[in-house]
Amino acid sequence: MNEETKTSEQKIPEDLKETIKETVIARLDVLPADKKISIGSYGDFTKSELIEHVKEEDEVGQKVVDLELTFLKALKEGTLLKEILTPEEE
Amino acid sequence: MRGSLLITRPEHEPAMRYLSRWSEKIIKEAKEKGVNVIDLYRNKANRKRVIGILEKRNPKLVVFNGHGSEFFVAGHNNEIILNNNDRKAVNSKIIFARSCKSAKVLGATAIKRGAIAYLGYKEDFWLVYNILQISRPLEDKTTALFLEPSNYVPIALLKGHPTGEADNKSKNLFRKNIEKLITEGPSSDDYYAIRYLLWDMMHQVCLGNQAATF
Repeated sequence: MNEETKTSEQKIPEDLKETIKETVIARLDVLPADKKISIGSYGDFTKSELIEHVKEEDEVGQKVVDLELTFLKALKEGTLLKEILTPEEE
Repeated sequence: MRGSLLITRPEHEPAMRYLSRWSEKIIKEAKEKGVNVIDLYRNKANRKRVIGILEKRNPKLVVFNGHGSEFFVAGHNNEIILNNNDRKAVNSKIIFARSCKSAKVLGATAIKRGAIAYLGYKEDFWLVYNILQISRPLEDKTTALFLEPSNYVPIALLKGHPTGEADNKSKNLFRKNIEKLITEGPSSDDYYAIRYLLWDMMHQVCLGNQAATF
């Protein structure tokens, strides 16, 4: 987990934490069943396995939450579009 | 003949097999460019062999595939093949590590210890593959979204592009894949993969000399 996420996580109230968890699970639920997601040395997971980890709130689950929050933040703040529309100079 | 390329290709689990098979494209490019390839495949991707070659044969370009952490890169069966204390092994090398998090600490340390550049990932490298295509990794279109851009780091270096440019070209391929999926919309089979591609792109870095060439 990166420091930024850790800091923001400490301030998240319980009810909001539940909402985040539900949102992440809903987003994972749309993943195709025939795909596996490899997260380095943590292993390879199907969507239902990832959902279980999020429910358990373990290390893998926290990684999934971090990634989803990073993505949603990029959407909200326009970073995603900026990233796509602004190619790096070569 | 140009300098040498050392590449590690562990294959002890499905994700490693994907990286290994996709690395064949890097090897092919290197051979076409007349580069001497030292291919450490499966159990040859062990610490003794890797360190010996790095120190004695001094390949200028090094590509690691394998698991990793802030402090190390692993090889076959997760044996640590490069760690934060290695000095001579990284000296005068351009290193690309396709492994989780190693650019965070190991990469920065390698630069302090004489590596020319260290390209890699500051966080976990996420990869999606199709269970039904596990025996044909090169035909997996989902994986291609991740590994074509990632492969382009060493391929651009082999083509003679500077390190910083190789990183940017690779990121532009990630960008192109994200853009393609956004354009196709939610009906695309891989629409969900945008979040993982963005993560990998955002955490790919080039440390050290941005203008170095192979």
